[in-house]
Amino acid sequence: MTESALFTIFVVAYLFYIGKSLNPPYPREVLEFPWLGSFFLFSSSATVVVAEHRLKKGERGGFHLWWGITMALGAAFLIYTATEWYHLIYHDGLTLSTNLFGSTFYSLVGLHASHVLVGLVLLGIILVASLTGNIKDRHHEHIEMISWYWHFVDGIWAVVVTVVYIIGMQ
Amino acid sequence: MANPTSSLKEVGTELAPAPPGREHGTLTAWIQDLIFTVDHKKLGLMYVGMAWLFFIPAGILASLIRTQIAVPNNHVLGPEAFNQAITMHGTAMIFFFAMPMVFGLANYIVPLQIGARDMAFPRLNAFSFWTTFFGACFLFLSYIFGPGLYGMGAAPDASWFALAPLTSKAFSPGNNIDFWSLGLLISGVGSVTGAVNVMVTIFCYRCKGLTLYRMPLFTWMVLVTMFLVVMFLPPLSAAQIMLVLERFFGAKFFEAQAGGSAVLWQHFFWIFGHPEVYILVLPAFGVISEVVPVFSRKPIFGYPMMVAASVMIGFISAGVWAHHMFTIGMDSFSVTFFAFATLVISIPTGIKIFNWLATMFGGKIRMEIPMLFCIAFLFQFLIAGLTGVMLGVAPFDWQLNDSYFVIAHFHYVIVGGIVFAVFAGFYYWYPKAVGRMLDHRLGLWHFWIFTAGFHLTFDPQHFLGFLGMPRRIYTYQEGRGWEFLNMLSTIGAFLQGVGAIIFIINMIYAARKGKIAGDDPWDAWTLEWITSSPPPEYNFEQLPEVRSRRPLWDLKHPEDPDWRFE
Amino acid sequence: MDTEHADHAEGVELPTPTPWPMLSALGIMLIAGGFVTSFVVALVGILLGLIGGIGWFRELFPVPNHELVPYTEPAKRAAPIKVSPRRISHLALGAGGHRAYYPLRVHRYSSGITGGLAGGAAMAVLAMLYGLIFQHSIWYPINLLAAAGLPTMESANVAMLNEFHLSAFIIAVLSHGVLSILVGMLYTVLLPMLPARYEWFWGGIIIPLIWTAMLFPMFDIVNPALAAHVNWFWFIVCQISFGLVGGYVVFKSQKVETMQTWSLAARMGVHAMETEEDR
Repeated sequence: MTESALFTIFVVAYLFYIGKSLNPPYPREVLEFPWLGSFFLFSSSATVVVAEHRLKKGERGGFHLWWGITMALGAAFLIYTATEWYHLIYHDGLTLSTNLFGSTFYSLVGLHASHVLVGLVLLGIILVASLTGNIKDRHHEHIEMISWYWHFVDGIWAVVVTVVYIIGMQ
Repeated sequence: MANPTSSLKEVGTELAPAPPGREHGTLTAWIQDLIFTVDHKKLGLMYVGMAWLFFIPAGILASLIRTQIAVPNNHVLGPEAFNQAITMHGTAMIFFFAMPMVFGLANYIVPLQIGARDMAFPRLNAFSFWTTFFGACFLFLSYIFGPGLYGMGAAPDASWFALAPLTSKAFSPGNNIDFWSLGLLISGVGSVTGAVNVMVTIFCYRCKGLTLYRMPLFTWMVLVTMFLVVMFLPPLSAAQIMLVLERFFGAKFFEAQAGGSAVLWQHFFWIFGHPEVYILVLPAFGVISEVVPVFSRKPIFGYPMMVAASVMIGFISAGVWAHHMFTIGMDSFSVTFFAFATLVISIPTGIKIFNWLATMFGGKIRMEIPMLFCIAFLFQFLIAGLTGVMLGVAPFDWQLNDSYFVIAHFHYVIVGGIVFAVFAGFYYWYPKAVGRMLDHRLGLWHFWIFTAGFHLTFDPQHFLGFLGMPRRIYTYQEGRGWEFLNMLSTIGAFLQGVGAIIFIINMIYAARKGKIAGDDPWDAWTLEWITSSPPPEYNFEQLPEVRSRRPLWDLKHPEDPDWRFE
Repeated sequence: MDTEHADHAEGVELPTPTPWPMLSALGIMLIAGGFVTSFVVALVGILLGLIGGIGWFRELFPVPNHELVPYTEPAKRAAPIKVSPRRISHLALGAGGHRAYYPLRVHRYSSGITGGLAGGAAMAVLAMLYGLIFQHSIWYPINLLAAAGLPTMESANVAMLNEFHLSAFIIAVLSHGVLSILVGMLYTVLLPMLPARYEWFWGGIIIPLIWTAMLFPMFDIVNPALAAHVNWFWFIVCQISFGLVGGYVVFKSQKVETMQTWSLAARMGVHAMETEEDR
């Protein structure tokens, strides 16, 4: 709930400032729709469900596999974002301080990316703990919480995509 | 499992309760205990102690401000020092006195009232306290590390709501604004985690039989408060993150030259800022709702209405923020909407006031100190509400916005309302926390001097507002008719200081020499009075079971228990 | 987390005290401090935060650390709750001696409307009579009443006040009618609560006198023209006529039972749920 409120404010700021930048680059010129990144992130939401399912059935191997795939997809998303930013910064010269679009874009997407990063760390802790055999039945609740968090991060991405890449590019 | 209460009953009848022993230990052991503890009661007391700790510098700043404007053309503080003083006074009082006080009371009382052993996440609780505390320290470190003139420190000086263009690098070079935004960011983390903790505790750790509909009103109002914290503190944090990005990395959020909007900052700030008022005042309402019935010897009048009114206040408070911004030039629809919402919020507040009066009506009122503060609260909060409604009328606000009338209004809310309720709560719960009663005679002195000082300070400020004195001016010329009222106000401020000192003396005196309280000194009805004073680390030997809204009444009056009427 | 506070024979399990949360918080503060001083401070902060975080994690994983807190010695425990020697007597519905009681039978609201209209008519007749006798025009009081809503009437002279004005007439009739109905309905609510003896005295004379006293200071603001021209003796006579006539009509109307004595089910309209056994 807290995080939702936090994101809401950044989304509002983005919407408020759409089309108010006074100097280029403008979003239409530099942004591309993040097909690949979205694919990575949205599919990771599915794999985390599969992983949880395997855990409930007691298949540790399957759990490790799907949990690992989830992590890989999350990391792939981060790498995608990093290359996108690299391109924007060194190719298009868009930084946080270039214009309003830069400020709102980097803060919103960056906030989301930092949440993905936190999620990855949490997933990693669970994976390591599980591989070393420390995960017991009483921890299932926590694993469920972490997967909820991952779904939440996904949901936020859906909002971010809508705002930044669909509304913002018109 | 052995039944500890059975042995307890046998012994308890023979022995008078022993005086609460202080932990005998060295100073280092004590500090180590503070750092290590995860006990909700100790953390609650630490929150409260922190609140008083920061109350002192904030109060000193207040008296400096009042000294400066007591007479025209005064030069006790220069303009820079004056701006720093008003900023630090406002920030510290709101974030580092009132907020920790709310969290301290919630921490201490809520688990006891709902019959729990501790908070849901005890370690997170400690983390919340320490982030709040370090945030406060960080802000005050600006007096040392802020880059001011001649090697002196420089505190933030853009007022407690840090309006946008003023906080940009161009107008506020140096780091003092960063101390403000970073300090509040840190403590914001603590407040939000603390609020989540309290919410989870209330939802998951109520003892057997304690349905939401039987929950004490203080706990109810804390619950609504914590919802507000979780929902409305993040906008402030987000805005402060933007400010930090702007000041360190050159982002353009609030910079008009790049198309940014300074008004957006105001919106973000007040989306937080107005619910914040209710974050502070709802627990105060909760205290009043506990104290008034106990000292009127009647159950609270209209319990369901009280709960409904609190929830309503919570909802409506989300839609009133822009009444702080009537003068920035909004379109008439927005002005009408926010004026209307502001007037509407007085309805649930009015319901509460009537319910307290109805509780007192026909009751057998005991004029103990907590009740005195409650009665004063009722008068003062009514006036604060009325001036609030006046300011909610937009054309009236255009005339008086940013004048001393506004200062008088919100100090009536915060001092006359919240601080008085905090004092009531202190006199009420101090025996529970310490095991000894606060002194009645000193309490009377405290009450009367503080009340007189309060009215002497803030009543004239209403008139100063009408006479056109703007807020945040560090001095003024002679012959405007403001001299006498300002002088009165300053005298009042010092009187309040005397009252506060008497209170502190009372606390110290009572901790050593006060009358032994016993478990239940006020003949009260909620669960915190069922355990010993001070409560043991685990709160209850055996978790209680509840069948009505007044569990202790049921035990004291087995022939006529409350649950018969539910 | 449900295993956090388990009970044992000799004590209660509580979380072990730990310094890690404090260290994490300190780390966060130092990271922020890095912004305003130098990055070295931030590095120390990150380090402390990491140490705190890891320590905290190890505190919780794989099992949250607990310690057994023994029960305090019996002498320090809470004394058992004593049964209060006081007896409780409940308020009985409608019992005498209490200042507040529910009226069990009330007048219909409709009687308030008819009473208000009757009283208003009586008042109007008397007022017009006054106009005819002293100002030689029945329109005089009507125009004065309308002056509250008509700016032109406010500054009118006596001659103008004596003439017929359609707009003034409409305003006066409307406001007089609405106010009469409202006051009449107030009567239906108030009359059962007045002292039982001399009801005509309280309702007919005292209440009109009270509201005349309340109107007296208000007239200067609401209707300055009326305040300037009014004859207070006749005004009071008119008010009392309203009180007597309106009060009489209301008083003579039939009373109906309130729902106060009904059961909750009946009050909510679910009559079928109430059976003989319930009583």
